[in-house]
Amino acid sequence: MSFKIKKAAVLGAGVMGATIAAHLTNAGIECYLLDIVPFELTDADKKKGLTEKSPAWRNRFADNGLAGIVKAKPAAFFTKDNAPMVKTGNFEDHLNWLAEVDWVCEVVIENLKIKQELFAKVEKIVKPTCIVSTNTSGIPIADITAKFGKGLKERFLGTHFFNPPRYMKLLEIIPGAETKKEIVDFMTTFCEENLGKGVVICKDVPNFIGNRIGVFDIANGIRLMVEKKLAVEQMDAIIGKALGRPGTALFGTLDLVGLDTGAHVMKNLYEAVPKDESRDIFIPMDFMNKMLEQKWLGNKTKQGFYKKVKDAKGKSSKLMLDYNTMEYVPTSKPRIASVSNAKKKSDDGVAVTVKMMFAANDFAGDVVREYLCNNFIYAANRVPEICDNIVGIDNAMKWGYNHQLGPFETWDAVGVKEAVEVMKQLKKTVPKKIEEMLKKGCTSFYKVENGVKSYYDFESKGYVALEENPKIILLPSLKERQKVVASNKSATLVDIGAGVVCLEFHTKMNAIDDGMIEMLDKSCDIVLKDFSGMVVANHAAQFSAGANIFKVLLACQKGDWDVLEALVAALQNTNMRMKYLEKPVVTAPAGLALGGGCEIAMHGVRCIPCGETYMGLVEVGVGVIPAGGGTKELALRCTEGLPHGVVEAGLNLQPLYAKAFENIAMAKVATSAVEAKELGLIRKTETVCMNRDQQIWEAKQMVLGLAKNHKPGRQALIPVMGENFRGIAEAVLYNMRKGNFATEYDMHVAKKVAYVLSGGECAEGTYVTEQELLDLEREAFLSLCGESRTQDRIMSMLTTGKPLRN
Amino acid sequence: MKEAVIIDAVRSPGGRYKRGGLSATRSDNYGIQVLKGLLARFPGLDKTVIDDLIVGCAFPEGEQGMNLGKVLAVGAGLPENTSGLTVNRFCSSGVQSIADATAKINMGWSDAIIAGGCETMSHIPMGGSIFRPSPDWTFASMPNVYVSMGITAENVAMNYNISREDMDAFGVESNRRAHEAQKAGKFKDEIIPINAYKYKVKNGKRVREAVVFSEDDGIRWPVSMEEMAKLKSPFKAGGNCTAANSSQMTDGAAFALLMAADKAKQLGLKPMLKLSCYAVAGCKPEEMGIGPAYAIPKVLKMAGLTVKDIDVFEINEAFASQALYSIRFIGIEDRLKAGDINPNGGAIALGHPLGATGAKLTAQLAYEMKRRKAKRGIVSMCIGGGMGAAAIFEAVV
Repeated sequence: MSFKIKKAAVLGAGVMGATIAAHLTNAGIECYLLDIVPFELTDADKKKGLTEKSPAWRNRFADNGLAGIVKAKPAAFFTKDNAPMVKTGNFEDHLNWLAEVDWVCEVVIENLKIKQELFAKVEKIVKPTCIVSTNTSGIPIADITAKFGKGLKERFLGTHFFNPPRYMKLLEIIPGAETKKEIVDFMTTFCEENLGKGVVICKDVPNFIGNRIGVFDIANGIRLMVEKKLAVEQMDAIIGKALGRPGTALFGTLDLVGLDTGAHVMKNLYEAVPKDESRDIFIPMDFMNKMLEQKWLGNKTKQGFYKKVKDAKGKSSKLMLDYNTMEYVPTSKPRIASVSNAKKKSDDGVAVTVKMMFAANDFAGDVVREYLCNNFIYAANRVPEICDNIVGIDNAMKWGYNHQLGPFETWDAVGVKEAVEVMKQLKKTVPKKIEEMLKKGCTSFYKVENGVKSYYDFESKGYVALEENPKIILLPSLKERQKVVASNKSATLVDIGAGVVCLEFHTKMNAIDDGMIEMLDKSCDIVLKDFSGMVVANHAAQFSAGANIFKVLLACQKGDWDVLEALVAALQNTNMRMKYLEKPVVTAPAGLALGGGCEIAMHGVRCIPCGETYMGLVEVGVGVIPAGGGTKELALRCTEGLPHGVVEAGLNLQPLYAKAFENIAMAKVATSAVEAKELGLIRKTETVCMNRDQQIWEAKQMVLGLAKNHKPGRQALIPVMGENFRGIAEAVLYNMRKGNFATEYDMHVAKKVAYVLSGGECAEGTYVTEQELLDLEREAFLSLCGESRTQDRIMSMLTTGKPLRN
Repeated sequence: MKEAVIIDAVRSPGGRYKRGGLSATRSDNYGIQVLKGLLARFPGLDKTVIDDLIVGCAFPEGEQGMNLGKVLAVGAGLPENTSGLTVNRFCSSGVQSIADATAKINMGWSDAIIAGGCETMSHIPMGGSIFRPSPDWTFASMPNVYVSMGITAENVAMNYNISREDMDAFGVESNRRAHEAQKAGKFKDEIIPINAYKYKVKNGKRVREAVVFSEDDGIRWPVSMEEMAKLKSPFKAGGNCTAANSSQMTDGAAFALLMAADKAKQLGLKPMLKLSCYAVAGCKPEEMGIGPAYAIPKVLKMAGLTVKDIDVFEINEAFASQALYSIRFIGIEDRLKAGDINPNGGAIALGHPLGATGAKLTAQLAYEMKRRKAKRGIVSMCIGGGMGAAAIFEAVV
């Protein structure tokens, strides 16, 4: 049987349910969001004239859930326009809607009886092809499905999202004992390709993988902190970025999640895993119980392990809990030698810094060694209890807890043997399977040979190749397989097969420098000669954060105007070359695509953005204007597709150019690819790739499709408004200045933007060439670079990372 | 000189911007209905006596372009001999048209004229659909000609120390008065209910649905100072002029029937009042809101009167800052408290349909004077670009 999910229903409209519904709409799936009918009419309800029959009252929980996600930050929807795709209702009046849906995802309160009662009703309504799942994080699937008929049992599984579901990659899929394999396979592919998740198949064991290992990790950290008599901030500094952990480290994360939730999971886990050798660690420590009593639960109660306070002058500062005295004390940014040393090497990658921390000879080193050894042993002992292999555990921790390395990858980084020696010194019980592994001469959990990655399998006691998904094109692996076509320090051209190449940037933050532009140009030569087309993409967190402004500043300070002009001209020319190349060039931005990065992304003949693309022409933040073709291209995007003759007939271009001007002058950044379409940075006709891992593959398919019959266009003619647009811009800017929304210099820069968009000295309705606008861009850029306040802005960005509003 | 009198002055209800009762309905449509409603009050009147229709409109384009005066005349079924004129002095257009009609009758050039104003703010943006300020007037020369009204309000608040609290209190009081007046049915006599329409989706089909719109829909009540204080200024970072202490953007139309006194007598029509004096005074564009502070003294001087001679004022509440400043400058804050100024609330609650406002306030004043049996009243407002207008009306007994 083949399955399809076009319409879904989410049962339970709490934060998790509502945000799952929102993400389903991001994938283009219409969604019902249902919850219970409120218990009783309040006096306020009665005052408003509501009765027990009013839909506004009956649907309140679902309505509130939807209202909450429309405002959620970070945004749950790709665009607020998705909100109408969620239809709200309640369990009493609207369960019949479930007859239409292809997937029912249950996210109600964690109470077995309530879930069972709800599913008993659901079972009677859903169609025989409907897939049904629960988002439980702690209740065994076997218990939930105990009373199901065979049909539903076969189509039932756990789909455990991590919060927030749009952003957290991990999705744990937990098949029940009778779940059909085809359902598991379908949902795995669906969740990967359509929802963009990283799926880990779990066993039906308490807390599955992520929260079992993750909660141990946190409990382990808390115990060690107390044992070693460390302050909260010290522990967070140690178990921080150097170990590949998110910036919120241990306690910041716990404050974010909520201590009540954390403690609840720990207690549940303690009860559920009587045979776990380390279960005592899950008993909350005394001070945590005190925190729970005081409702110091974290961000939601404004205080937890940390507390932000404001003094009389309104200056805010951060306090931390002294868990001995149960009082909040000032934080002090602890200086720890090993942490500082590791920080200096952060460019070398997390594997290096983890190793440094593990070998450090100060107190932090002691903490890290013990902490990691505990984690390693616990993880190793969980195979095959919670997962058949190490890969699932590593992926779960990376995708669900934002660890840069999973426990086994971390172990590889510090050395399997080395860690075992430390374990022995610390008198820990080394798992037998690890001793065995070392005895066999296997000294790492993962290895790469001829570009093929394999992992050590405890069951077969040897290496097993990782299954490759043909839709996941990994550039590093291709590079190891000698697929590099050309390379320099900034970018590499990789053969990704079938006559298609991929240009990968690899500078810091993928900032654009002359090497990158050179490589772009050279790649065009190579593609013309030897390939069918090119993809511009990379695996980094940022597609490109923009031009290397340090180099721009240096040139400004030296007065190297010719060099600067040549650099800008080179980017413009290369972008234009890509756009009109005789072979198709498809850009595939993901993450940040700002400034020059946005301009490159805009100059493919087509663009396949990842859903999570944050795009914007933000140059005014550093006192310049988009001059790599961005201003020109946005003018074109905002006016293209107009029927012939409408400008001559008097079409008012003002709102179109107002949009372009606003985007650039206010340095707007889209919070998703869909929003980038709304800003005009990506054409409305482009498709959005939901799964970052498969983006290069999708872009490659696009190239292959285009290559069959590619006819490059010719330079467009752009209708402009001439001086009249400058008049509009000046009037608008005058009001913004008077309203203190813009500084004098903001206005100065914005007027340059307006000048370029206006098309220069011409009348309203004139058509200009792309090159004419490019020339205006360059001129405006160079004149701004010569101004001290632009240089101050660049300097501020370089030193503080924040735009200066001078 | 012939005496000109106002036989009656009526208005549509004010409909909230984009969401209100007139937001879907075209302004020519409800403009015509107000005219027909006015004429229907005089069933025996031979319409050929109506010599001219003067329509005030601040953005005479789109559905209110093409010389709205003649368009509405034809639409309202006025005879061919009736001519049509559109006048624009922004926010005073509606009373400017009544003043122009009065002057024309005074001169003996017409015997009967309908004058008023008509404006949709829902359909036509402030500044017009095609806004083309001159690029030659850069910041150094005269950018203030195009200054946004919100900025002028902030300027007045800042330059003349009008506090946020006073402005918010003014806004609350405007709403309270409007609410009370509406509850007491005070607006019924002056309002012509409009057969408006809304576009809706019903059973999956898009339909145009008829609705009768008969009451001002912008009044917010109850409203508290706490709620007012929460709002931020959309005009200025850290500013004090907010959506709640500024006039509402509104759709509406209002018209008055004017005649030479002798003609009215001949036709047996009883006049309500007459416009006896009208003045417009200029001021700085960037402080346009203080216009009434100049216009009211100017018109009083012209008439040889003082504020004590005026029983009721309708001073347009474009912004609480400018209205309060003007009231204080003229020295009549006590009259505000006494309920002689904007006794039934002002534009903060009832709305400000730009070109229709002058005529709308005239209709409100006419019926308030009738209720009070008052002798004299003033309609005044500030005007975008830097002006104020004031008209003195006298009861005709």
